Parts: sequence; structure tokens; C-alpha cells
Amino acid sequence: MTDVVKDKKIVAVKGTSLWKDGLRRLKHRKFAMVCLVIILAYFAVTAFVYVAEFFNWQIRAVMWTEEVGPSYQPPDVKYVFGTDIFGQSVLRKTIYGAKTSITVALCASLISILIGVPLGAIAGYFRGVVDEIIVWIYSTLSSIPYILLILAFAVVLRDRTLFGFRLTGMVTVYLAIGLTSWVGICRLIRGEIIKHKDREYVLAARSYGSSNARIIFKQLLPNVFHLVIIDFSLRFVSFIHAEVILSFLGLGEADKPSWGAMINDARIELARGVWWQMAAATVAIFFISLALNIFGDALRDSLDPKLRMQ
Amino acid sequence: MGENNEILLSVKGLSTHFYTEQGKAKAVQQVGFSIKKGKTFALVGESGCGKSVTALSIMKLVPYPPGKIVSGEIIFRGKDLRSLSGKQMRQIRGDRIAMIFQEPMTSLNPVFTVGNQIIEVLKLHQKKTSAQARADAIEVLDKVGIADPAQRVDEYPHQMSGGMRQRVMIAMAVSCEPDLLIADEPTTALDVTIQAQILDLMDGLQKQNNMSIFLITHDLGVVAERADDVAVMYASGIVETADAKTLFAEPLHPYTQGLLKSLPSLGFKGQRLNTIAGSVANPLDFPKGCKFHPRCPLGITDRRCQSKEPELKEVSDGHFVACFKAAGYEE
Repeated sequence: MTDVVKDKKIVAVKGTSLWKDGLRRLKHRKFAMVCLVIILAYFAVTAFVYVAEFFNWQIRAVMWTEEVGPSYQPPDVKYVFGTDIFGQSVLRKTIYGAKTSITVALCASLISILIGVPLGAIAGYFRGVVDEIIVWIYSTLSSIPYILLILAFAVVLRDRTLFGFRLTGMVTVYLAIGLTSWVGICRLIRGEIIKHKDREYVLAARSYGSSNARIIFKQLLPNVFHLVIIDFSLRFVSFIHAEVILSFLGLGEADKPSWGAMINDARIELARGVWWQMAAATVAIFFISLALNIFGDALRDSLDPKLRMQ
Repeated sequence: MGENNEILLSVKGLSTHFYTEQGKAKAVQQVGFSIKKGKTFALVGESGCGKSVTALSIMKLVPYPPGKIVSGEIIFRGKDLRSLSGKQMRQIRGDRIAMIFQEPMTSLNPVFTVGNQIIEVLKLHQKKTSAQARADAIEVLDKVGIADPAQRVDEYPHQMSGGMRQRVMIAMAVSCEPDLLIADEPTTALDVTIQAQILDLMDGLQKQNNMSIFLITHDLGVVAERADDVAVMYASGIVETADAKTLFAEPLHPYTQGLLKSLPSLGFKGQRLNTIAGSVANPLDFPKGCKFHPRCPLGITDRRCQSKEPELKEVSDGHFVACFKAAGYEE
């Protein structure tokens, strides 16, 4: 017996069958795959901007501060998206804005998942007083109008020093969004855990000596984690929008371009017939929103067993 | 194996109550029995009589709230499990006392391979590297009769049949070579041919590891074949206990007699099966006196039946019964 075992290499932990199955389904959805490519392209642009900034590469695409021509040059072959008041290329600003938006959405998502998932799991698993406290907190949070809440957080957090770390533009934005938007995922996970925790495999896990923490994190969460991914992909869009709104209201990154800031600039420009800065930002937002929504829906269709069709 | 009467687990005066909205349900009342090392002890009774709660009480897994062990001792290898902390108890569960459940279809976590689930148990209780644990998992799968264990170890529960899943459950339970295996109706959800295989497997493992088995069942056929000692449970309490041979040869309690009579047997063609009249007593509202008296076929001629609950008393060597009318029962 042991000889057989020795011969066989120890295989790394493979993905779950739910995932394998779901991804197989996903691959058959052509349109969803196109959307995935679009999403990955946005991420690639973001990564590229980071790398270029880090190594201080003098590449034209990321040198948004450079004056490329006269101010308010309409789009043509030379200036693809035209120029702004300082003669800076709107195309380069749009590219740089991807970095801001995607970073904010990613960080805010991570913050909201890190808060919402454990809280939801704890509330659903232990019920009782713990559950009531957590439900009370998120009910209170969700009863406050969302934009107002984000604004309040952003204003309060702005330029504060937290653990010796100064909260500047972008950090404020994703903290504000992350800290206010964990309610949805928390509620979702709580409900799923309540459903799962009385299943026999949980009792079985307890019968062979698993602790509560181990049951939550090693037995229950893997069973509901696909929902976190689905929720993440659908919520990502709303975080991009939130960043745009905050920047538009002047609470975002002050001195670097972002799609929100570009739309904010366009407020004055539009009266003078300068539409291209607005258009560039809108088109950028439009494609990632559309791609994420379609991809998120496809992901849900293929991963959520309840919606799964043969 | 020889005559070995060393006692592994003894339960004394165990009572477990559930505090529900309708009132207090006394699911287990003053239950006592002992399990000998290397032997099979069977607990028989109808659905809802408190068998499973007894098992969960031993593991200290009664869901609280609403359930709670209110009194009694559970002495396992000289230690009272009730006095142990949660952490100490977790070290015993799965390592010294393991449990298998009725529903093999739902007792395995659907998102992990069976190998990973066995490895999880091994890693909880033994200091092993992943490679060792994996090798052990394959070995234990082989031990429980899963063909091609080196391949099966990477399969998911949904790829296996009910019988195979129950084998995997048994593999998880015996992976740390426990002293006591609690089997809560392990074959109820399986079809008859698989039942025999699973029971044979448990017998084999018992002999190999000198493991005791606490078998919970309502199948008297299984008890007759496999058990060394039997206790019959009715309405939260044990009404009769003896070694299997004695119990089947001379059942003393009218409930036990009724159960045995209601078994179909060969050469019994054309006749109706015997039944026990009435239905199981409601644990929220037990009848006064002997809990079985409203259904008792002997009639209620004795006034004590209605007013006083008979205690479990020894009527002959190792044969205990709780019935005023049983032969040899003296108050």
C-alpha cells in the first residue's frame, strides 16, 4: 500500500468541482468572454500605469502632465480625444484615470469584503445576541442614504492621520466607499450561512473535533464563497461610479486626473461647447460598466447552483 | 479476543432536556448503560425516543440552546466528559470518540474532495505533514474497502454512491483509530445489500482496532446479528438491557416483547404482523407512572403502573428491566 502511495506524487489542492464546473460553463458564453477580455484590458492599463510610474518610464501614454497642444483642441487624428484647458491630452488623462478608478474600486471591494464576509458569517453562525448586534449595525448603516453616508465618511476621513498614516485623496475615497458598502455582502453571507450551518456536514465536522472558527472558515465559507466572487464583480461597477461621484463632488483625488474629476471639469466646459473631456470619461466608464455587468451576470448564472440550468 | 469485560464508557443518570417554546421536552431521562471495550452495544428504540440525543449527549454536541444536559455522568476511560472544557472535548472528538451519521449523502462537505476531508481530521488530531496525511488518507480509504483509493482520494462526494460515501464517513471516523465509534443509524439510508457490507466493514474494523461500537438503530435484525449488549429505549428512558442473547431469548419488558413480535419472519405467511397499539409518548407530556402503560398489552391491572415509574432493576445476572410485572422484578 505505502509503495503505491510513494509512487504517486502529492497533488496540490485542486479547485473545487463547483468552480471547475462553473468555469467550464462560463467558457461557453462567448459574450461573457469578450467582456472578460475588456475587463482584463482595463486592468492591464492600470497595471501598466503603475509600472510606468514606478520605474519612471518616459512613455507618452502616461505623461498626462505634458502640454501637447493648444487648449481645447477638438478631437482629430493628432489629438484623439482632444485637449483640455491646459493643452493636456484627454486620452492620456483617461488612461491615467483608469488607474484611479480601478484602484479605488478594487481597494473598496477588498475592504467591504474583509468587513462584510466575516461579520456576516459570524452573525449567521452564532445567531443570538451577536447576530442581533451585527444586524442592528448594518440596518442602521443601510437606513442612511448611501451618497450622504459616503460623503460624510469622506469628509470626516479627509486629511486625518490614522495610525500614523495620512489619509490623502484616493485613500479617503476607498476607505469611505469600503466602510459604507459592506452591508450587502454581509447580509448575503449571513443568510447563506444560516442556511448551511444546520446541514449534516457541519455536525459531522463538529463530531470530529473542529472548533467553531474552523467550521466557519474551513467548512462553511468555502461553500458560499462563489457568492462573494459574484457579488464582487457586480459591485465593482457601483464602486467605480461611487468614485466618479465623489471626485465630481470634489472629494476625490485633487491633483491627479480621474474620470470623476474629468466630468467635474466638463461642467464648465460644456457651456463652451467642449464636450470631448466629458465624452472620453463617459465612454471609459460605459465600457467597463457594461463589461462588468454582463460578466458578473454570466458568472452568477454559471456559479450559483440555484440559477444553474442544464 | 477472549472474555474482556473492561468498561470503556459508562453513562450514569444522564438527562438531557430541550427547552422549547411549547415547554420542556425531556428527551433523555436518567439513562444509564456501559459499553465494554471492543464490544458492540446497541441502543434500540422507535423514532423520537431519544436515541440520537443520547449519542449527541455523549459527544457533548447537543445543540445549545435549546438542548442541555441537565444531569448525569459520562465516564470515558475514567474521566467524566461533562467536566471537560470545550477544547479538551474537541481533542477527544474524532480522535478517541468518533461518530458516523445516518445520511451519508449530506454528511460530507460538497466542496472538498474526500481526501481533503480525511486529511482535515488527521491534521486536527495528529501532527503530520501534508504528504504523510495524504498517504494515511489513501491507506484508510483502502481499509474501508474503497477500490482504487489512490484515485478516489481526489474525488468529490457527488461522484460517489451512497454506500461509498458511508464508507468515506467511516474512513474519516476511524482514521485516528478511536476507542469508541458511535454509529447513529448508519445503514438506515442505504439499501439492504449495502447495509450488510457496511456492517461487515464495521465489524472488521472493530476486530482490527479493538474498538467499541455504540450502535443506534431501530432494526432488531441488525441488533440480533451484531450486538453484544442491547438496551431498549422507550420514551426517553431505558426499559430493558441485557446481553443480546438473553434479551432475544427471554424479553421481559412488554415493550421489548412487542418489538420482537412485530418482526416479520419466514413461515409467517398470510398472517398480519403484530403491532404495538397506540403511538409514541410525547416528550413534552409524558403519561404519569410507567410511560408505557397506555400502550401496555398486559393491561393496567396493577395500580402502580399508573402512579409510579418503575426503576431499572436487575432481575437476573446482567439483565435489567423496568416493569412492575416482569418476572423476577421486585421493588
